[in-house]
Amino acid sequence: MADSNRAEPLPGLLDGLTADARGWLDRARADGDLPVLFPQLPRRLGRIAMGGGVQRHSGATLDLGAWRTCDGGALLLLETRTPSADELVDLYLRGDLEERTMVLRALACLPLGSATATLLGEVQRSNTVPHFAAAVCDSDLLIRARDAGVLDADDANRMLLKLAFVDLPLARVFDATRLANTELSRMLQDLASEREAAGRRVWRDTNLLIAHAPTAGTLARIAGGLEHGDDAHRIAAARGAAHIADPVLLRLARERLDREPSAAVRTELAAALRAAERTP
Amino acid sequence: MKIFEPHIHMFSRITDDYEKLALAGVRAVLEPAFWLGQNRTHVGTFIDYFDTILGWERFRAQQFGIHHYCTMGLNPREANDDRVNDAVMEILPRYLEKDSVVGVGEIGLDDQTEKEERYLIAQLELGLRHELPVLVHTPHRDKKRGFARCIAILQDMAYPMERVLLDHGNEETIQITREVGCYQGFSIYPFTKMDENRMVAIVQEFGVERMVINSAADWGVSDPLMVPKTIVKLRQAGVAEHAIQQLVWDNPVGFFAQTGRLDAAELSQPPGFDRRETFDGNSVLRGQDPTR
Repeated sequence: MADSNRAEPLPGLLDGLTADARGWLDRARADGDLPVLFPQLPRRLGRIAMGGGVQRHSGATLDLGAWRTCDGGALLLLETRTPSADELVDLYLRGDLEERTMVLRALACLPLGSATATLLGEVQRSNTVPHFAAAVCDSDLLIRARDAGVLDADDANRMLLKLAFVDLPLARVFDATRLANTELSRMLQDLASEREAAGRRVWRDTNLLIAHAPTAGTLARIAGGLEHGDDAHRIAAARGAAHIADPVLLRLARERLDREPSAAVRTELAAALRAAERTP
Repeated sequence: MKIFEPHIHMFSRITDDYEKLALAGVRAVLEPAFWLGQNRTHVGTFIDYFDTILGWERFRAQQFGIHHYCTMGLNPREANDDRVNDAVMEILPRYLEKDSVVGVGEIGLDDQTEKEERYLIAQLELGLRHELPVLVHTPHRDKKRGFARCIAILQDMAYPMERVLLDHGNEETIQITREVGCYQGFSIYPFTKMDENRMVAIVQEFGVERMVINSAADWGVSDPLMVPKTIVKLRQAGVAEHAIQQLVWDNPVGFFAQTGRLDAAELSQPPGFDRRETFDGNSVLRGQDPTR
């Protein structure tokens, strides 16, 4: 686990705390039973948005826009007290909704290992969207866990399929397109077809992610996406078309550009066409 | 009129009860951890029960516009059971720090055994350490002696009496508790313990200072609407509205707000909810249309 002597607070954390809160955190880092301290974090440190944008911390890249003061305090406590994998999993399993959120958000900055795999497995089984988002979104945890072999390809595919199922934006999972593969594309396309048959909404980023690993049916889906009634779907399709650079898709994108009513989508289509022209 | 129901076991009740409570003006409920009708045989079942009243039950209440709080404790019946008593004491400290926990309870005496006293004292010490009020169950048999014994224990420990709620009181016990400065709870039951008319007589004689009323509804023959029904009887008897409001809102809110974990301003509005929301993947809809 982390070297507790070198545990550093996230940028801006201490500035956002009152003197009482800082004093409590100092004492908690030094002493006390972690399962008793952990539920107190939101009460003691508050749930104030930290802000600060994308940062590097403990080998991870994370967006502090998603973090609150209690999350930052939880991470500092965990990096200082260095609980074992079993203790960390116990904090999650016996935690209330807030405690679970704090453990999962901190996970990105804690050493990759068995607790990472166990806790990602737990959120995968749960449909609690805030917990899934706290674990998988706003950091590069998923790609690092896959690169380190903590997750295998099937695990990563299931997590990205769940991301689509609970309708969270692909952009919140850093470097997620590196995890694209044809099996995942098939899974996403099947989910989209099932949703369409049921008259339900399809994940807006489907056409972007499948473009990174095309399989049977991918081109037709993206072509359809260029004419979708929802702006977000057309943007994803335009980006997908730019990535694949297939001549038919580019011709359809050019046709769409002249008729496209949304300025945001026109920008994406124009960018897709410029990128294709630069491609040898 | 806003109502804080300070003792109800919603774990044992159905969603119709939540609907009726919300319609009757109940804005918040307090669920004391208690006995489940038969003894548990290992600590794991306590852990799951505690997690349920912190998690799913709180979510379920919110889906009907009701704030849900709880107290945690080893009830006196199972304090007598060596299969679980020490193990439950070990896990209590972490549960006493959870956000929706606003007291230690139900603790107290039932059969009035030496073991019950030992675990009552140990849990009162936890109450002091975690700076929490205590909800004390008093015996249904030999009640007066049980009350006196609970008070003697509290006084021996110099327990701050404003943080003590002695529950399941009646006309006899009120004489004792008025003098010691603690809160007193009256459980209004359809056929036993205390009924609405007797409660009206108590209020008319003694007022409402440091008093709360509750239904103590659980898995037995009990009525979750006993607090609203008693309000009707109090009004019919001419008790002033402000006194009724003090009895069913100001007193219970003030008692549990001593934790600092209960925000009276937040409580004054019902929680927002969306029945499509899930807790651990489950909603209260069971597949029904949320718009119906």
